[in-house]
Amino acid sequence: MNSSLALIIEDDYDLSIIFAEALQAAGFEAEIIRSGDKALEWLETSAPDIVVLDLHLPRVEGMSILRQIRNEPRLAKARVIVVTGDAALADSPFLQRAAVQILVKPVTFRQLRNLARLLKLSSRRFQHD
Amino acid sequence: MVTLNKLLNVPSATDPDDARRRRLLNILLISIAAMTTLILLAVILVTITGLEEFQMQGLTLPIACLLTLVGIVIIYAINRYWSGQFAGALLLLILIVVSGFTDTPRNVVEGRSLFLFTIPILMASVILLPWASFIVAGLSSLVVSAIALNALQAVPPVPTILGFFSVALVAWLSARSLEDALRDLRILNLELDQRVQDRTRELAAAFSRNQAILEGIADGVIVFDNTGQAIVANPAITSLLEQPADRITGSNIETLIADKMNADDQETLVALLKNRETHHPSIKFGWGDKTLSASVAPVHVASGKEIGTVAVFRDFTREARIDRMKSTFVSIASHELRTPLNAILGYADMLQENVYGPLSEKQSGVLERIVANTGHLLSLVGNLLDQAQIEAGTLTLNTLPLVPSDLVKDVIGVMDVLAQPKGLELTSHVADDLPPTLLGDRRRLQQILINLVGNAIKFTEEGKVHVRTYRADDTHWALEVSDTGRGISKEAQTYIFEPFRQADEPLVREYSGAGLGLSIVKQLTDMMGGRIELESELGRGSTFTIVLPIALPA
Repeated sequence: MNSSLALIIEDDYDLSIIFAEALQAAGFEAEIIRSGDKALEWLETSAPDIVVLDLHLPRVEGMSILRQIRNEPRLAKARVIVVTGDAALADSPFLQRAAVQILVKPVTFRQLRNLARLLKLSSRRFQHD
Repeated sequence: MVTLNKLLNVPSATDPDDARRRRLLNILLISIAAMTTLILLAVILVTITGLEEFQMQGLTLPIACLLTLVGIVIIYAINRYWSGQFAGALLLLILIVVSGFTDTPRNVVEGRSLFLFTIPILMASVILLPWASFIVAGLSSLVVSAIALNALQAVPPVPTILGFFSVALVAWLSARSLEDALRDLRILNLELDQRVQDRTRELAAAFSRNQAILEGIADGVIVFDNTGQAIVANPAITSLLEQPADRITGSNIETLIADKMNADDQETLVALLKNRETHHPSIKFGWGDKTLSASVAPVHVASGKEIGTVAVFRDFTREARIDRMKSTFVSIASHELRTPLNAILGYADMLQENVYGPLSEKQSGVLERIVANTGHLLSLVGNLLDQAQIEAGTLTLNTLPLVPSDLVKDVIGVMDVLAQPKGLELTSHVADDLPPTLLGDRRRLQQILINLVGNAIKFTEEGKVHVRTYRADDTHWALEVSDTGRGISKEAQTYIFEPFRQADEPLVREYSGAGLGLSIVKQLTDMMGGRIELESELGRGSTFTIVLPIALPA
């Protein structure tokens, strides 16, 4: 498993660029996929360390993608950062279990980069165990 | 009783006084007739039973009685079918004569029969004219004098004559005041009748005018009395509620609305009609597939007493639809506007973090201006959306744990970018008697602070802006923003919290901003259960204080 790989699942062009740059600034390699179906396809052959998932994708529900990721044992090590515009979702117990962090839009570059840096540090420590 | 009245009243009387006099004459006649008849009966009885002591000398008494009765019938006939005055005069003359000659001359002139003359004197005022008593007094005096001179060879008894005239005076005065009183009463009666007539006509006119107004009003009107029953319903309400008028009047509000409104709305409407709070005089509710609005007001009569409630119903369906469209539009638009704005800020952030290499000082400076303006635009959009949500009643607070010191730090961080170019000092202080964590809607509190600090910076040319949080009392904490700016006049202080108002209007729109900031601040503060205080004087800066109840996380 490549500990420096991040998957960005985001359909908005600008946001996807910003998210990718934030993860890259934190030291990750970032892969942008702008549709939920294609992302699930990609996940069949790769196991990223971090997934940044926008819950409000067109055509496919973000929650169902999250569920599928969590149900796949091969992807157990992937930590999911969920991005949503709805603050009320932050209370969802499923999200709190399934995601490592829930970010409410607007998400700033700095915010995501700093979070990614933290996660990278903790995974390194994890690896040393 | 009816027959007695028929006997007594004279239908052909010309005026009320004449009628009254003739009626009184009839009463007298009948009384005399009754007495005479009784005497006659007594005589017959005595004669039949043959009691010695009561034997009469001859037939004088019975004959006198019979003659009296005959006379009475004649006078009655004259009174009824010819002239009351003639009948009355005739009766009086007969009485005078009888008084003069029923007893011995001595008795008549000086004795017990003198008083007999007073009867016709008194009667005269009542059955003829008030001053007729004097004539009768005169005639009586003549008769008495004649008898005195003739039978007694005595001088006319002056005291007696004076006495007669005194009685006549009394009779005249009494009768006159009585007749005056009666006449005044009659006039008053006529006046009252006239007034009642006029009033009735006025009321009828007003009623039909009001009726016409009610019929013409396009809104539905129902008037309820104090027991909650509908007493008036105009045509418009029957088409609005889709029920015939006779079903509406006479029913209670509860029965009217029972099947067509949902339970909550029903409760609200009934409560509104019962309480008529002046705060919320109208409500909107669903009726079938329409939306109606109802405004309610008490009805007072001129004396101030409350006699019922009037409810005006209007078809609000179209306005409600427009309102909903507006809310939907605003929330969609706000969302659509915010997404690209956030993207711009994201890119600006990246450039500032030198992701694509270092920036020159000028590039950095310009980037800061881009960030500031975009942030400003974002906050305007946020204000618009919140305003629309507040108006629609759909704004809800997200109450979560927050750290006051972090909140203040973040705001200072953002707003410093605006303060620095103006050379203003932006400082803050967090009191240490505040709980480290509080419950609140962080985003909205941030919005409030940004609005207040933004205003402070906007309206201050030099000096400082200070943000402070502290413990106001046992149960409240406070957020305070003070500046050394131009201050706010007392007059402006009364309206700056209204939407779309600014302190310097209408003369100069020197300062940009839609004027929404303070009204949002106030409405959000109200929603949080707090209050806002303002201390300011023109030329001496301003201090805005938000006082909120302390809520601690569980």
